[in-house]
Amino acid sequence: MQNRNCANSVSRPIRFMRVVPFFLLALAVTGCAEVAPWQRGTLAKPQMALDPYPLHSALRAHNYGAREAASGVSSSEGGGCGCY
Amino acid sequence: MAVINSGEIQGAIKSSPLAALTAAALALPGLVGAPAQAADDEFSVQYGHYQEEERDLFGVKSTYRPIEVDTVQGNGNIKITDRVKFLFNYTQDTWSGATPITTAPLAFRGNSTKSSTDGVSGATPIVNGELFFDSQLNPVQTDGSRTVTGGADNRLVHTLSAASPETRRQGDFKLGYEWDEAAANVGGGTSVEDDYESRFVNLGGRLDFNQKLTTLNGGLSYTASDTKARLDHDLLPYVDTGAYTDQITRTAEGGKIVQGHRKDWGAHVGLTQVLNKNALIEAGLGYTYSIGFQENPYKVVEVAFINDQIPAPDGAAYVGQVRALLEQRPNVRNQLSGNLGYKRYVEAFDAALHLNYRYFLDDWGINAHTFEADWGQPLGHGWTLTPRIRYYSQDAADFYVPYLISQQAYNSGRFDRNRLPKNFSSDHRLSGYGALSGGITLSKQFAKGVSLDLGYEYYTHQGGLKLGGGGEGDYADFDYWVVNGALRVNLEALAASSDHGSHAQHQHHHGAMAPAGVMFEHMLDKGKFMVGYRYMHSSQSGDMLHGANRVSDPAIAAGGCGSDPCYIRPNGMVMNMHMLDIMYAPTDWLNLMVMPQFMDMSMTMQRLAGAPMIDEGPGGAGAHIPHHVENGHETGGIGDMGVYALFKALDTGHHHLHMGLGLSIPFGDVDIQLRRNHKVDGGLIHYGMQIGSGTLDFKPSVTYTGNYDDWSWGAQLSGTKRLEDHGETGFRFGDIFQSTAWGGYNLTHWLSATVRGVYTVQGTVQKQFNQYIDKLGPMDYPMNYGGRFWDVGFGLNATVPGGDLAGNTLGVEWLQPVHTDYNGYQLDRDGTLSATWHYAF
Repeated sequence: MQNRNCANSVSRPIRFMRVVPFFLLALAVTGCAEVAPWQRGTLAKPQMALDPYPLHSALRAHNYGAREAASGVSSSEGGGCGCY
Repeated sequence: MAVINSGEIQGAIKSSPLAALTAAALALPGLVGAPAQAADDEFSVQYGHYQEEERDLFGVKSTYRPIEVDTVQGNGNIKITDRVKFLFNYTQDTWSGATPITTAPLAFRGNSTKSSTDGVSGATPIVNGELFFDSQLNPVQTDGSRTVTGGADNRLVHTLSAASPETRRQGDFKLGYEWDEAAANVGGGTSVEDDYESRFVNLGGRLDFNQKLTTLNGGLSYTASDTKARLDHDLLPYVDTGAYTDQITRTAEGGKIVQGHRKDWGAHVGLTQVLNKNALIEAGLGYTYSIGFQENPYKVVEVAFINDQIPAPDGAAYVGQVRALLEQRPNVRNQLSGNLGYKRYVEAFDAALHLNYRYFLDDWGINAHTFEADWGQPLGHGWTLTPRIRYYSQDAADFYVPYLISQQAYNSGRFDRNRLPKNFSSDHRLSGYGALSGGITLSKQFAKGVSLDLGYEYYTHQGGLKLGGGGEGDYADFDYWVVNGALRVNLEALAASSDHGSHAQHQHHHGAMAPAGVMFEHMLDKGKFMVGYRYMHSSQSGDMLHGANRVSDPAIAAGGCGSDPCYIRPNGMVMNMHMLDIMYAPTDWLNLMVMPQFMDMSMTMQRLAGAPMIDEGPGGAGAHIPHHVENGHETGGIGDMGVYALFKALDTGHHHLHMGLGLSIPFGDVDIQLRRNHKVDGGLIHYGMQIGSGTLDFKPSVTYTGNYDDWSWGAQLSGTKRLEDHGETGFRFGDIFQSTAWGGYNLTHWLSATVRGVYTVQGTVQKQFNQYIDKLGPMDYPMNYGGRFWDVGFGLNATVPGGDLAGNTLGVEWLQPVHTDYNGYQLDRDGTLSATWHYAF
């Protein structure tokens, strides 16, 4: 039986800071090719939409949110509990 | 024929550089998602069903059904002007079934199978009792009483309890303004459940630069939520609520309400970058600060209080007095997340690969990783298949603990709380585990702008799947699956694809629209499609009637339940029905219709004055009365589906006559149960709160409509004949016959008013439930259903005369009861509101 406490939780944001360079790096490598408007036909295809099925995604996110601890942070949309 | 499949559209785009350029320019702002995800002037509806599979209770067979959730969602994205966009969304979910309320050592036997006085055996969650430990504080096996039968047994098991159906409703909106290379929006909404309510506002923005190759978006949100959780009076003696004394109020029926308030502030920024003509990348950061009551008020943690004063039986060293304490979570939570996504077009397959990774951490000690991949594969003829896979892993929260041992006596609640951890929860959502899920979406674009998406996903939660190992034991593993179907209608694309002649045509049709409450009121011309949505809200309240007359409480108590006494009566009932109308005309003389529907109902009850005394104690015949009176009931889910064929009999220009033949297929549940409590099973909820009819029903109709100048009129006879002797739970509803006649006048070229009369007769419920029902009021008896009803309806119909939404028709009608003559004893009627939207193309 473990009686844990949360005394060490203050160091957590520091761990997060280690991840930030990873994202910055990822953004930095996006030194991108020039893509003229008439070259963007492929990007406009329905299967290339960032979220081709937004309703479906919302339902899946809601289900994950009801069953997982790490949810709902990226959207910052507010919303209800639905915590069955 | 206006049907264009997407293969033709793609062909058109490929063949014209200008069209391709336009399409790309139109689509790119949509790429960035955040301010407005759906396309302009798009309406969509979705139904989803979540079904959990049975949990492992190690040999105990739970009589509770696993949890299931029915969700219906509708949204619309309207372009008010070229630059002003309005997005609204409505979501409703109804859930019921078994859920873990706590965790205990298996030796504690938390899921005890017992027979109750009503003769129905069921698993009763046991949260208080004795548990024996060896000298190392390992639980030891017993025979269920005080005889130790084995050694240390550290296996754990969830203790399951069940919830009656409950419904959550959420409405939200966004209003946005678009500049050439930027957008801003403001939004808000509310989510309401019986025990939880939240209100939220948000602000968002988007900046495009670098010739729209780079897009930056961001948002802020604020959410305020109130918990009002009802702890049942029969549960209270077994749950220690001492930590929340100043947040608890007592109810009139002896229950407690735990009140809590919580605030969440959120912020996110995101970046989308086009890498080349085939790939783009997206990245985002999110932060949420939450303060206040973040507990799940229905979760308890088992604490074994080691009492040295109680002698341990042979084979054990200590006796633990197990008590259930409401869980305690920190009041503050800081959450951070970052995500990185990559989307690439794969030319060889004309497919799109999407990869996404998300990292999450919070100051509760939870780190989580999510990996997702999907593959969007067009199959031709408008079909697209998208398989996806997702892996999720999280660490346990610092204060997660399956159960606690405290080296002190419970002493009737007078123990030292400071000797317990400050926070503790055994909620499996805070444990360490991994989850793997896989799914598929099949999408078909029928006509330009109309598409249907079907999805399936299977999800498995396992302690053993946690990244790096060390997850929770397999007792907490569970699986679920979800199916969903969505219909999307893009009016802008539809309008662009149809000629002006067709607009004129359906204005002609709908200029003489029938009242919103009348179904099967018109037919389409050959080759036309119609999509529509019908909403119906009907309510009952006020006096109880016996036949056509008001009846007093003592008279209901004496006569409303046949030879049994009645104890309670309904005092409010609301039914909402959401129906999709999909219609196609293969020929002028034959139209085909499919009408899936989603229903929800709620009901409140009160005690009957003059009812005889009944034992409301644990196991007593009236044990559920306090629940019924104080909690009300809610049900919801997918209803019966109608399929119809309409046959044209006469069409002279001013006079139209057609016949309808249809079937109602019994998809709706007729076995919805109330949860067991107070050692008495809830049994089936009464006939009127079941979602479906349970039987295959024949639904014929004959409709006549006429119009001259600005006047229109019509009449309809319709019926419902049950084709089966009884449904799966033993009963069938009475047959229905309805006749109605109406007149309408065009107030302007786009608005008309209608008046109509309706006479309806419905028989009583035939036979009765073949499963247990806890009969306490008139609604529980078959003879108190149906009757003869006169109503008068007042309606307005509008057709959008021009602009992007030209041809859309809207109707609303209020049906006011004029005379009611019930079979038996029933609650008086308030009326019915119908609202419709239709678009033909």
